[in-house]
Amino acid sequence: MRTRGRCSVTVLVFLSVATLSGGAHAQDADTLRRELEQLREQFATVSRSYEQRLKELSERLQQLETRGVPPAPAATAPTVPSSTTATPSTPASTGTTAAPTPRATAPTLADLARPRQPFELAQPGRGGLLFDIGVSGDFVANLTSSARERNHDGTFAGRENRVFPREVEVGFFGRVDPYASAVVRISAGEESSNGEPSSRELNVRLDEANITLLTLPLGTTARIGLMRPRFGTLNTVHQDDLPQVDRPDVLTRFFGEEGLDGESGVEAFWVLPASMYHEIALGVFNGDNEVAFGRGSLRDPLITGRWRTFLEFEEHGGLQIDVSAATGVTPDDHRTTVAGLGVKYKWIGARTGFPVVTLAAEGLGSFRTVDAAEGESGDRHLERWGGYAYVQYDVNRRWAAGVRGDWTELPVERGREWAVSPYAQFKPSEFLRFRLQYKHTEGRGAVERVADELFLQGSFILGAHPTERF
Amino acid sequence: MFRILIAAALALAATPATLIPASAADPLRVLATLPDLWSITRALVGDLGEVKVATRPGQNPHDLEIRPSQILLVKRAEILVRNGLEEDSWIDPVIESSGNPRLLRGAPSVIEAVRGLEILKVRTGPIDRSLGDVHPSGNPHFTLDPGTLPIVTANIVAGLARLRPELTDRLQANRQAFLDEVATAMRRWTDTMLPYRGEPVVSYHDSWPYFYRAFGLEELGVIEDRPGVPPSPQHLVALIRRMRERRVKVVVVESWYPTATAETVARAAGARVLTVPQSPGAVKGTDTYITHLDALVTTLARALGE
Repeated sequence: MRTRGRCSVTVLVFLSVATLSGGAHAQDADTLRRELEQLREQFATVSRSYEQRLKELSERLQQLETRGVPPAPAATAPTVPSSTTATPSTPASTGTTAAPTPRATAPTLADLARPRQPFELAQPGRGGLLFDIGVSGDFVANLTSSARERNHDGTFAGRENRVFPREVEVGFFGRVDPYASAVVRISAGEESSNGEPSSRELNVRLDEANITLLTLPLGTTARIGLMRPRFGTLNTVHQDDLPQVDRPDVLTRFFGEEGLDGESGVEAFWVLPASMYHEIALGVFNGDNEVAFGRGSLRDPLITGRWRTFLEFEEHGGLQIDVSAATGVTPDDHRTTVAGLGVKYKWIGARTGFPVVTLAAEGLGSFRTVDAAEGESGDRHLERWGGYAYVQYDVNRRWAAGVRGDWTELPVERGREWAVSPYAQFKPSEFLRFRLQYKHTEGRGAVERVADELFLQGSFILGAHPTERF
Repeated sequence: MFRILIAAALALAATPATLIPASAADPLRVLATLPDLWSITRALVGDLGEVKVATRPGQNPHDLEIRPSQILLVKRAEILVRNGLEEDSWIDPVIESSGNPRLLRGAPSVIEAVRGLEILKVRTGPIDRSLGDVHPSGNPHFTLDPGTLPIVTANIVAGLARLRPELTDRLQANRQAFLDEVATAMRRWTDTMLPYRGEPVVSYHDSWPYFYRAFGLEELGVIEDRPGVPPSPQHLVALIRRMRERRVKVVVVESWYPTATAETVARAAGARVLTVPQSPGAVKGTDTYITHLDALVTTLARALGE
């Protein structure tokens, strides 16, 4: 409006000056007409200039409103008619259209103070945060005999006949800049050293904190920080994502209840430019895992490596094979090497994606040197083996059932155990899961016992959508 | 050991890779995340290169599982065409695992087909998972409205031409030919659907608002009112009542969903279930955009006409 007013004033001034000057000097009609023509041209130029400016400002405003969603690139295109009655589709014959994609406005202090679900704030670009937040909770109820409770030798030692939060985790993840992404996971869970009520603690710990460098030369991707090393098939899987309630026995015996995790160091991996999928990962870590290594120094680091390949059989499923090794040093300066071979096959129903049949097996060998027994000289070299296999049948999106078999030797002491664990799973939605698992274990030697246990697990996820991996 | 570690650290701390641009003689190596984008991009690229797709036709993108073979596809691709809404956000961890930084979100080699489009069903107000597995940025199935193709194809061609300027003219010519073909087909589809304009239809999953808009159908309701969560009995009862009142003839179900609930609803409301593939290539002979839409329009018109 103000612009139009200015135009009118300009014209009036021009016209007045022209009229006055015309009367004063009594110029002839032709001269006056020429001057009027010039004034008209000047006026048109001013108008065009203002219109152009207005158009630019409108476009700028529109771009600001759509917050960074630029209009589609201009291109001529024939109009594709879109017959519609209610909400007409408006395919631009010019190929350009405003972009009324969702608006993201910065939250006010009042918005932030209002109680609401944490993940709503975590929507990138919607709540003003530029990363994702996910929360997962994993609760386990463990029922077994009083003998197992007394001896604290159940699968979840010291937590027999209890309901406990195994792991409640808060994860922050997202892109740091165009070259890197980062993840931080903090978890809390009940741990018990000897099963006595006084020793039960809710421990909070930093599970994972690492950056991934995405743009290194030669197609290298590298992670630096605290992480779960790429070792084996199931070791990389978080507690709440495991296919069964508990981690297979061979992993807990060789590395501890949570497997080989919580290692700080550097890990690089490559996908080879070949016709088949080959991934190679190499890592150098402190070696903080106390069960297998524990030296905890880069002077004698834990070195891990994994080769993984994948064969796609289209409608007949896919087969993954991995070969891993981890070698490190114990606090008493003895070397431990663990090698593994894993195989996983999955067949997925063609039309609806169900049923799904999964067959998986992993075998591990532990080769470690320990001090010689009393009265003997030199070191002893121990060779221990173990493995597991499971089959799972996903009937549909909600129901699945399976069975796992375990057999393992103890890494240092003399003894071995086997177990069989049938289980059933119910997922009301993608974010909520319940499992019921029975486990029968028989041990010999240092783990002499017969254990019958029943696990009930409830897991949930708040926030960022989990992406299933093969 | 320290020497090895220092050498490894130096190698890893090297500056970001210099990406060598492809030469004019090299064929385009394009990866599309979803089959609809694959069929459209293939029409635009023609014989200028190869277009692969990261998901199998007929596979439900909502339940997608990352497979190593997808990582290999990403590794080999030079350009990525993605939907741009949440429909294919599963590709991000695949890219991060592939060691191909050219396809990271925001890179010049990544084309987002949605740019500049009017998005339907953008959620407003508080959003949480009690609404199911919702798409907060709006419904992503926009290619089911042929009216969106001028913008979608302009986005794709602009992205391809940005990386291969020497191919601009040929890409534009392919685009023009494709849009001409779609415009011709659209007249045919419009004529086929004309008798059913304003007809109420019910969907199992909320995949079809753009399709209904394109052909003047009314979406009376969606069985799966909260995506990924089984519908409540109250919702189904109310939906069946409305279907009876409006004499709904057809319940549209994507081929990757089980039909049991839809069958029950349709039976109670006196309608019939129409199982159709939502993406091209799921049924033999429908691997182009036009043959896919041809099949959808013909099947739906036949069902509505019965």
